[in-house]
Amino acid sequence: MTAAAQLPAADRTTALVASVEDLKVHFETKAGVLHAVDGVSFDIADGETVGLVGETGCGKSVTARSFLRLIPTPPGKYAGGSIKFWSKEARANGSDPVDLLSVPTSDILDIRGNRIAMIFQDPGKALNPALAIREQVAEVFYQHRSDDLLAEWNGNPPSVIRRAAGQRSGKLEWVAMKFPPLRSQARRLRKRVDDLVGEALAETQIPNPRKIMASYPHELSGGMKQRVMIAQALACNPDLLIADEPTTALDVTIQARILELIRELQHAHQTSVLYISHDLSLVRRICDRIAVMYAGRIAEIGTTNEIFHEPRHPYTRGLLAAVPSFAHERGKLAAIEGNVPELISPPASCRFHTRCEYATEICRRIDPVLDGHGIGRSVACHGYVSPEELGVAAADIPRLDRSPA
Amino acid sequence: MTAVRDEPLAPEPGVDSAPVITVRGVRKYFPIREGVLQKVVGHVRAVDGVSFEIPRGETLGLVGESGCGKTTLGRCIAGLTDATDGGIYFRLAESDRLFLDEMDAVPEAERTLQHQARIEAIDLAHRIDRMKGDSWRSYRRNCQFVFQDAFSSLNPRQLVKDIVGRPLKVYKEASGPELTDRVVDLLQSVGMGRQHLYRYPHEFSGGQRQRISIARALALEPEFIVLDEPTSALDVSVQSQILNLLHELQQERGLTYLFITHDLGVVRLMSDDIVVMYLGEVMERATASELFAAPRHPYTEALLAANPDLLEGDEEAEMRGLEGTVPDPARPPQGCRFHTRCPAAIPQCGWEVDDAVAWLADNSTTLDELSGVERASEFDAAVRFRDSDAAAEAKALLEGPEVSAPMQGALLALSASGAELRIQFTEVDPVELEDVGEGHLTSCILHTSRSTHL
Amino acid sequence: MVDSTAPGTTLAPAVSGPLAVRLRRAGELSREVLRNPTTFLGLIIIVGLITMAALAPVLTEPNTPDAYQMPRDWGAINEPPGTPGHIFGTTSTGGDVFYGVVWGARTSLRMSMIVVGFTVVFGTAMGSIAGFVGGRVDEIIMRIVDVLLAIPELIFALAIAAVLGPSFANIIFALSVVFWVKYARIIRGQIIHVKQNDYVDSARVVGDSKFNIYRKDVLPNSVTPVVVQATLDMGGIVLVGATLSFIGLAEAGLAEWGVLVSEGQAGISSGRWWASTIPGAMVFLWALAFNLLGDGLRDVLDPRTGGR
Ligand SMILES: Nc1ncnc2c1ncn2[C@@H]1O[C@H](COP(=O)(O)OP(=O)(O)OP(=O)(O)O)[C@@H](O)[C@H]1O
Ligand SMILES: Nc1ncnc2c1ncn2[C@@H]1O[C@H](COP(=O)(O)OP(=O)(O)O)[C@@H](O)[C@H]1O
Ligand code: SF4
Ligand code: SF4
Ligand SMILES: [Mg+2]
Ligand SMILES: [Mg+2]
Repeated sequence: MTAAAQLPAADRTTALVASVEDLKVHFETKAGVLHAVDGVSFDIADGETVGLVGETGCGKSVTARSFLRLIPTPPGKYAGGSIKFWSKEARANGSDPVDLLSVPTSDILDIRGNRIAMIFQDPGKALNPALAIREQVAEVFYQHRSDDLLAEWNGNPPSVIRRAAGQRSGKLEWVAMKFPPLRSQARRLRKRVDDLVGEALAETQIPNPRKIMASYPHELSGGMKQRVMIAQALACNPDLLIADEPTTALDVTIQARILELIRELQHAHQTSVLYISHDLSLVRRICDRIAVMYAGRIAEIGTTNEIFHEPRHPYTRGLLAAVPSFAHERGKLAAIEGNVPELISPPASCRFHTRCEYATEICRRIDPVLDGHGIGRSVACHGYVSPEELGVAAADIPRLDRSPA
Repeated sequence: MTAVRDEPLAPEPGVDSAPVITVRGVRKYFPIREGVLQKVVGHVRAVDGVSFEIPRGETLGLVGESGCGKTTLGRCIAGLTDATDGGIYFRLAESDRLFLDEMDAVPEAERTLQHQARIEAIDLAHRIDRMKGDSWRSYRRNCQFVFQDAFSSLNPRQLVKDIVGRPLKVYKEASGPELTDRVVDLLQSVGMGRQHLYRYPHEFSGGQRQRISIARALALEPEFIVLDEPTSALDVSVQSQILNLLHELQQERGLTYLFITHDLGVVRLMSDDIVVMYLGEVMERATASELFAAPRHPYTEALLAANPDLLEGDEEAEMRGLEGTVPDPARPPQGCRFHTRCPAAIPQCGWEVDDAVAWLADNSTTLDELSGVERASEFDAAVRFRDSDAAAEAKALLEGPEVSAPMQGALLALSASGAELRIQFTEVDPVELEDVGEGHLTSCILHTSRSTHL
Repeated sequence: MVDSTAPGTTLAPAVSGPLAVRLRRAGELSREVLRNPTTFLGLIIIVGLITMAALAPVLTEPNTPDAYQMPRDWGAINEPPGTPGHIFGTTSTGGDVFYGVVWGARTSLRMSMIVVGFTVVFGTAMGSIAGFVGGRVDEIIMRIVDVLLAIPELIFALAIAAVLGPSFANIIFALSVVFWVKYARIIRGQIIHVKQNDYVDSARVVGDSKFNIYRKDVLPNSVTPVVVQATLDMGGIVLVGATLSFIGLAEAGLAEWGVLVSEGQAGISSGRWWASTIPGAMVFLWALAFNLLGDGLRDVLDPRTGGR
């Protein structure tokens, strides 16, 4: 566990990287408005890894993509809430966060890949098949770190080279750089890019980075491609890395390696990570805190320890019990019967009530709220609320066995 | 539940004890074609000499990384693909199997006429690619398949009733209202119902589609079902529903399963015996409890380490993975196929010229100067460079401290002459599966009889 | 996928029969197609044109003995549109342009239905054999298709029609020879793709016959692009057919739009625009309408653009 998980409340705002508040994302569909994400709130502290788990279709990817405004609109719509983001500078000089949902598009483009990076489930689709690996990783340096490219330049680099480092060269300049006296300088720039790309790849423990740089995506295995994606994502030293099921398409043996790598690099770079997965045993390995999502809502948040050893929400308990393990007898696996409910005009009720063994009448009538959402522990279930607060009889409160399942 | 019917194909007396499926030395090679003329330039050895039996009413788990040949083997067993070599037998009696094993040792020319006649008789009655007419139809009914991808295994233009009722129609078992009733029975046995009859597959979730697939597989009351990763596309909560259902059905109907998966948690829960495959070969085979308690193969250990149990062990436990990737199945490694990635490898594991070349490619730039390789065998080759410096450098590197000790230990000779570097490794025979006690088979030479010669 | 019909819940609607389900689906699909205004426009035009073709004997007095021959009124040549009895005017040979437009719609409909009908059936059959049987057979069929495809449609049809001599029947024949290859190619590609689906293998496991697998699994999942192409060709064939008639490969005097355009073109320079422009506009309208409908169908049906 890193220290971030137990941050004292007073430090909360200063140490945050991002804070999602009441995020709502809706989709226009033929059948009606689909509430894919419906009031999600959680924080990510500096240097912390937060896991987001839940069944297919519960809104994990939509939440993640909202950070970078990657939801296609239409049919999608940011229907409410905010995602506050503190960059390193903002944290250093105590200035206000930006709201990722409302900043101008040009700012979001600058934040993407630079301050917030994302790796996806299918590395094959995220890489351009027509470009060599070198070009794809170099792209990040050109786009966001052109100053670094010129950092070790002795003397003042000519403006042509400055523009080349930012990929802003005109046609004429390209031609000019093929001839002396600019040629040697252009070569130096290229060598510098090569060095940085090589370093970034080497950091992901790819064997022989120089050879990989010259290859094309189809020549690499899935695990290698995912390493390239990670190199690309971490090249700019982002404040936040969003990993959306980065190992789902990989074999278990490779998956373990990639997970280890993400963990190491995260420690080395002090990057915060939002790690999305449907696999509980994976998030347990890598996350400080875990948010369990169900049907567009957060069901429960807590430290990894709390979630695994003292799960409170019936859904969390069900998920944990359903993982086949040494403790089970054949045919006696605990299952959560039924399916995820319809997300089109969801009624005011606990979304889990159709599958919850503890559900009572009030669960069908009143929508439970997540009791606070800071760095602490919270759960959205009536079983943990006093009858006075809800204004119902004590007998109506779901009686959960409060000790861990 | 389905109405009780006469067992359509009552097994012959004495067959009850015979394994439902016997796989003997099955190979499946896919040709690799190249160029305009589509010339065959090599073969992908998807399955390369696999043998096992599945006793009646039991579940055999088949695990391994992707691409190691699990699905291909499953398809061969289900008769969807013809095996290149070896035989798959249905209800092969113990005595017949022993006879066939005996005959394998006898060269074809030395077999007597009686021997040949008996082999022929066994093949016609039990070997699935030799069966004709009724016995083939009987096998077709008794062996069903559940596919991994519940989305592509249901015809999107057919209603659930037509999908589940199709096998009954094909064998003219029912029609009209009776067919509808039978289909409703089947749907109910997988936890669905009459209200789902007239819907299209796209109206269902992944878990429900998998239930429909299972209902279809049950329609002909088969003895044996190949389950190809039936839950790997599903969420844990739904996965446990399906796994419980499969177990229940097995109990009720005495089904025999071949359960293919890459998830060790699932395979341990579901199987009686487990076969671990790597690059088309069986690495290890044992009962489920034995395999998990005392794995005897580094590959099995690696799979276990990469799949730490969720509820036991502490969080910070290392989740070890494996370096490198699965080698090209068209050119599998010599000796033990796992040696390129094995953390426990020793010099006797089958190191070869390709390993040295691959190491140079990953750790240096000397191969940029490569001009050709001339092989005397997999273990002995002359590597030619464009200049003698590169050859010398490669030699120095291979002798250097960075090369893994087992590989260096296997190096017999390394001699540079001009621009040519001759690399010679100790020749090693392919490893063989051996019983290391109580039916626990492993191919790792650290545990087999070869270990005494190490 | 979310679904309210989980096992154990009873939210499912009352049982409905297979026919009702199929009709409902067809209804949904057609509503989806028609939601696009341009598709709807295309359909309206097509319905109008077909109605006109159907009502031809009512709208005009059929010529005897052959209604498809233009009647000639030598007393009224080069009358402008609006003349009583000749609302679209007449040609330089006294042909009523309105008669030509109305009966030309029939000719066009006949031509496109015969050609599309034949080419779809024959092309699908050849493509199916190639794709489903594979191997040698596939190679032979596809070589023929490749050769035929290498020749531009219009030139190929023109060559055949020219060799056979000027007659409308020959034009239909020529078009049929030319257009089937497209369908063969489309359906073969689809079948090779569809064959790889697990549902084809699951039908094999169940033991169904090859023909049943083709009929139930492979063909129904392969035909949508053919439907789209056939709709587009209903328009395209009239365009090519009219071109062939225009250059004189049909019998003179036939009530056919291309023939009319060809007859009337001489008058354009002297200001008699109607005799060729009105039938020309009909050709354009016909081709446009089927293109609009075809595009709309493609958007909804073709899996590659996201529909079902
Ligand atoms: N472009 C879109 N148009 C319509 N609905 C969408 C779109 N993208 C997502 N959705 C819906 O939003 C919901 C949440 O989707 P999301 O992809 O976030 O799920 P997930 O938890 O990531 O699932 P998985 O594990 O399958 O990736 C789903 O019901 C999904 O169908
Ligand atoms: N039809 C085919 N043609 C060529 N190679 C194939 C074919 N089917 C499978 N293979 C190859 O056979 C090997 C084993 O495949 P498969 O049995 O599908 O693996 P698994 O199910 O274990 O993931 C792979 O290398 C795969 O690429
Ligand atoms: S609120 Fe009620 S239905 Fe929802 S999880 Fe808690 S007990 Fe179950
Ligand atoms: S024989 Fe055993 S030790 Fe040697 S490579 Fe194979 S698994 Fe590893
Ligand atoms: Mg997702
Ligand atoms: Mg597989």
